[in-house]
Amino acid sequence: MTDHLPILLLLSPLFGALVCVLFGKGNSKNAWIVSMISLGISSILSVFLLLKVLSIKAGDIRYRMGGWDPSSGYEVGIELRIDILAALIVLAVTLVGFINTIYSKTRVPAEVGEKGPFFYALIQLLIVGLCGIIMTNDAFNLYVLIEITSLTSYALIAMGNRRAALSSFNYVIMGTIGASFYLLGVGYLYIKTGTLNIDDIHTYLENENLWTSQSIIVAFILIMLGVWTKMALFPLHGWLPNAYSYAPSMTGTFMAPLMTKVMVYVMIRVMLWLFGADFVYSEDSVWSELIVWMSVVAIVAGSFLALARNDIKKMLTYLIIAEVGYMVGGAWLNSLTGQAGAFYHILSDAAMTFCLFIAASIVIIRTGESRLNAFDGLFRKMPLTMIGFTIGGLSMIGLPPTCGFFSKWYLISGGIESGHWEFVVALLFSSLINAVIFFKIFERAYFGKIKGIKEEVSVADIDMIPAEGIKSVPASMLIPLFISALSVLILGIMNKNLFSWISNALKMING
Amino acid sequence: MKFFGLLSVIIVGFLLLSATKDFPNWGDEDSPANSGPVSSFYIEKTEEKTKVPNMVTAVLADYRGYDTMFETVVIFIAGIGIIAVLRTYGSNESIPKNQVGDEGAGLLARMTCSLILPFIQLFALYVVAHGHHSPGGGFQGGVMLGASYILLALAYGLARAKSCFSEKRTLVFAALGIFIYVGWGVLCLVMGSEFLNYSALDSILPGGVEMARSHSMLAVEIGVALTVTAIMFSMFSNLSTKGRLDKGL
Repeated sequence: MTDHLPILLLLSPLFGALVCVLFGKGNSKNAWIVSMISLGISSILSVFLLLKVLSIKAGDIRYRMGGWDPSSGYEVGIELRIDILAALIVLAVTLVGFINTIYSKTRVPAEVGEKGPFFYALIQLLIVGLCGIIMTNDAFNLYVLIEITSLTSYALIAMGNRRAALSSFNYVIMGTIGASFYLLGVGYLYIKTGTLNIDDIHTYLENENLWTSQSIIVAFILIMLGVWTKMALFPLHGWLPNAYSYAPSMTGTFMAPLMTKVMVYVMIRVMLWLFGADFVYSEDSVWSELIVWMSVVAIVAGSFLALARNDIKKMLTYLIIAEVGYMVGGAWLNSLTGQAGAFYHILSDAAMTFCLFIAASIVIIRTGESRLNAFDGLFRKMPLTMIGFTIGGLSMIGLPPTCGFFSKWYLISGGIESGHWEFVVALLFSSLINAVIFFKIFERAYFGKIKGIKEEVSVADIDMIPAEGIKSVPASMLIPLFISALSVLILGIMNKNLFSWISNALKMING
Repeated sequence: MKFFGLLSVIIVGFLLLSATKDFPNWGDEDSPANSGPVSSFYIEKTEEKTKVPNMVTAVLADYRGYDTMFETVVIFIAGIGIIAVLRTYGSNESIPKNQVGDEGAGLLARMTCSLILPFIQLFALYVVAHGHHSPGGGFQGGVMLGASYILLALAYGLARAKSCFSEKRTLVFAALGIFIYVGWGVLCLVMGSEFLNYSALDSILPGGVEMARSHSMLAVEIGVALTVTAIMFSMFSNLSTKGRLDKGL
């Protein structure tokens, strides 16, 4: 049975989604139970998957759909491929999905009303899509699953408040352009190689020595452009802040930590497995230097834009844009430490963004205020929530023993190793700005004067969410916050193990 | 803004065109996509391994059946997404009795519809059932079946169409379609083989390993057709009534 772990962990939320749809309108409670069970199963299975991958030294699990054996060395069917990196991210996705479902228990009836079952169905299908993207070894299958994640996220965002529909529409346009670029790139690769399997494309390109072919270079550029649009790298980030801040809070808490990070994983996969390090970092290509500079611009611009925001969620979304810059830069540094740092940062950024978004959502819901003055005096009134927020914030700034410190440490040492000082400076600069942002909030929360709760909420941004009073944060919202804050610390404390796993897996592909 | 738009279009257009100079010639039979190991396997071995003369269906429903499963899920998501965004559960959910039949088209259109509807549906079923032998398949047949219900709604009003395809029933059918597809794959798992490895089913299906693959393709095509039919009609009824599902166009 353990051979089938990868497909079983996909099937569990898929069936869960079908059951949720059958509940029809209004039955949010049952849908919640079903998705807790299905995502619980899938989280447990992904733990087993990780253990299994760790137990086989220096290798990966492969799973052939339909049992088609390769013909003369080339895969004819679709293959799944799970190494330590993939297993770690699958575990992150399923766990965040499970914990977020706990969080959504009281929020779904409050924010999407009778459409709760459809919400749960869509979010489970989104998890299927994300896990599928991470595990597949087929360039076209990856596109199909990108479609699944995109469509579900458009719908999940548009279920939010009145402004959500327009921001979701912007996302539809940008997301479709991104996905089309990716598809065009895969099409070019297929014309030149006649196969879609990621490893086989690499072998074919290697055997025929097609590295200087114009079509292959253009295919690489197109795929990169597509993935960057999807992950909101700086000049292509326009859709992200509105989409994530106007979405229902339990959509925001799920998508903000995961969507961009999974696309970063896809980028690393395309760079190192599909095209290979020799092509990507080759001496005579102009892009290697250029893209590190682009990521520097993204980090600086994202940090400045975050500093300029007075809206809690908008500020956090601009921080995500800066973090995407970290990971893209790290992946393009041409140093193993940098790549491993970028990869580590995928995990730690998922944990800390999750933590910050849950804390911010609780604050916004409880105070009915979406601007930074919501935090005034909150340490006295909501100490538990603020402790969670503080841990997330400290990790964003990069203070030990949080995971943000260690991943930034590896990124910086990668920058030093490869001589990209501009990247090092940008990282330190962005840490400073994060410190300014978060200590400003901590100061408000410690010394600010608490206000009475507004009866009538006039701010248009949150017109769907009435203030519910500062007291009585339900356990279904505090437990997820604690788990996520704890995971920020655990990922930090486990840094040695994680880093050695990640760099061992990366060493195999870098040769 | 327009200038930047033009600029990016020119750059991307240049990129796309510059890549074509390395392409194999048009219709070149030695190009990798035509004669590579993968496509020559499809062309030479499909008939022998799956007993399905239509290679396109074999690629779609067997070799790359995992993709097609998710394509069906994409259709499903599109329908559910439209309901999740548009559907409003108002008080006017039930239409007064005297309004039923008020909408729809004139007598001539109704008569034409009632004449051609059975043939549309029959042809749609043929396209589904014969998809692995001739052009067609679950998606095409499903779209035709869905269109037949849309035609019914246009001619006789949405209330009439809803009386044979209510909202609850569309959701059940949409989920059932996916369930058939995925369930078929799970059946292969239960029989001790990989997911969607239809050859594992030869002990419960007649005609040996190859025919098991052929029959299984039919089964998953039926699943696809159910989902597509239900989602087509659900999309139409939600979009045309702005999610109120009361009075159609």
